[in-house]
Amino acid sequence: MTASGSEPSQTPLASAAPAPKPAAKPAAKPAAKPLPEPVFNQRAGRLIRDTRYWPTELWKDPWASQSYRRGAAWLAGIILGIFATGWAVGELAPWGDRIYEAIVSFVSARGWPAVVGEAIWIVIKALIVLHVILINGLWAIWWERKISAHIQSRVGPTYAGGFHGWAQTILDGIKLLLKEDVTPTAADKWVHALAPAIVVVPVIIAFAPVSFGVELSAANLDVGVLYIFALAGISVIGIVMAGWASGNKYSLLGGLRASAQLVSYELPRAFSVVPVLMFAGSLNLQIIAQAQSGYWWGVVPRWFLFYPVVGQVAFAIFLIASIAETNRTPFDIPEAESELVSGFHTEYSGMKWSIFFLAEYGYVLLASFLLAAFFLGGGAAPLPWLSAIPSWIWMLSKALFMMFVFLWVRWTFPRFRADQLMDFNWKFLLPWSFANIALAGAYLLWI
Amino acid sequence: MESFSFYSMSAVALVSALLVVTLRNAVHSALFLGLSLAAVGGLYAVLGADFLFGGQILVYVGGIAVLIMFVVMLLGRASDLHLRQVNNQWMAALLVCGISFLGLWKVIGLFTASKTQTPPRPTTHELGRLMLAEYAVPFELISLVLLAALLGAIFFSHIDKKEPS
Repeated sequence: MTASGSEPSQTPLASAAPAPKPAAKPAAKPAAKPLPEPVFNQRAGRLIRDTRYWPTELWKDPWASQSYRRGAAWLAGIILGIFATGWAVGELAPWGDRIYEAIVSFVSARGWPAVVGEAIWIVIKALIVLHVILINGLWAIWWERKISAHIQSRVGPTYAGGFHGWAQTILDGIKLLLKEDVTPTAADKWVHALAPAIVVVPVIIAFAPVSFGVELSAANLDVGVLYIFALAGISVIGIVMAGWASGNKYSLLGGLRASAQLVSYELPRAFSVVPVLMFAGSLNLQIIAQAQSGYWWGVVPRWFLFYPVVGQVAFAIFLIASIAETNRTPFDIPEAESELVSGFHTEYSGMKWSIFFLAEYGYVLLASFLLAAFFLGGGAAPLPWLSAIPSWIWMLSKALFMMFVFLWVRWTFPRFRADQLMDFNWKFLLPWSFANIALAGAYLLWI
Repeated sequence: MESFSFYSMSAVALVSALLVVTLRNAVHSALFLGLSLAAVGGLYAVLGADFLFGGQILVYVGGIAVLIMFVVMLLGRASDLHLRQVNNQWMAALLVCGISFLGLWKVIGLFTASKTQTPPRPTTHELGRLMLAEYAVPFELISLVLLAALLGAIFFSHIDKKEPS
């Protein structure tokens, strides 16, 4: 702490000439071996201030590098492969109908009551939705590690599994399963053990009305949006329970911060969607997606994102509030590592700890699917001549793109202070979401 | 099937409501209050009132229960965790509960004849139309009451910073 001023500052370079003139190094450390001269980045003949070495000569012509060409070919191949698979499989909803008919005919051939068939079908749908969340956990953690690594000029996991370390999360999962499950002596045993369950169960249930494409959702609920927001709010109780039951003052502070933040940010999150509900005239996610079908002048899709002013404001507020709801970095004061030693989950280890992360990534996926359904047209193709590719591929692409935005935000912005966080919500996001509702009403009345 | 869900939800709601007032640990009481409110939401869902179910969970479980836990944790003393929470006026409380139960029982008796026999359909659209057209005035009155309560809470908790201490 006291030795922080020992590094020589780079202020002499602030007024430097355009060329990367080798700066005269102040003789600060005579004993150490002289470091190689730093090469500073430049743009349009001017230095970009406060940057250090970056392999500029390598990035002058990236296509000259064989590994760069190979990586680009891989990426293009993967994307084209996904689109081709989607085109070959077609829409998934008819496949579901076929499976359902097979179950019903099997049950009636056996002479069982029709309820049995319905029950089997519901169990199958629930298992599919559950596995969407579980596999998303594997995928999102790997993706987060790779993207954070590349944002920070690292490479991330590389060895496990061969291809860019894809199996790293599986190995980490096995490690977490084998770890000791520690319950602190000061903890309230029952509440401590139940808290991860209370956090993760609402995510899984909240996925029931999420539409994965046209006519593709586990339950076609009339109050889908309200249902999702209501259940997503239950997880806060689990976080507060975890914070209190750990018997640790940092955890308690984390729980308190979490409850204040999540209850506050739920309001702009719900109100920012109200314009969308007003335009679509329904709370049903399928109907909201259908209301955005079609194109202006045959090219611009009629997504709510492209409604002038209202759409963009609603999108921005919903995105910001969703990031705050998932406790991710610009808004991660409930688990701030530098202040609270990761807050409410300090005293958890092994599988209980990883269940908190499963819930967090579940919420990221849920928010991505909601953003895609509310603002990006659901399963509609972005251009009219791309509609041969089925809706579930589009839905998945949009959701994964939004997930990338979530990761991008997390690894770009620094953390808010607690009072700034509250001010930002109550004095900026909430008033603007109200103004946005009024604006949407004006659109509906006069346009 | 429906009556099984109804009675199990009722049992959860009643038992957890009883635990709210009998448990010694204030945080456990707050948790069981959340469970009780959630079970009431489940009752709405069983009866086909899906919008009311969403509203109940959103407001009472996601909002009120969390705020109560917040207060219990923020202002909690060590004695909250093991002392008996039941106060001495339990006779009066029991009396009030009994009288309001009897009153509700009478009111339910008036409306049992007009019970609908048709299966419930999605009603969100109808509910919105009724709230903002036929029952607009009572709806706005309730909003006014809530606003007054909000302003009152801010007024009483406001600390005047300008006053020199």
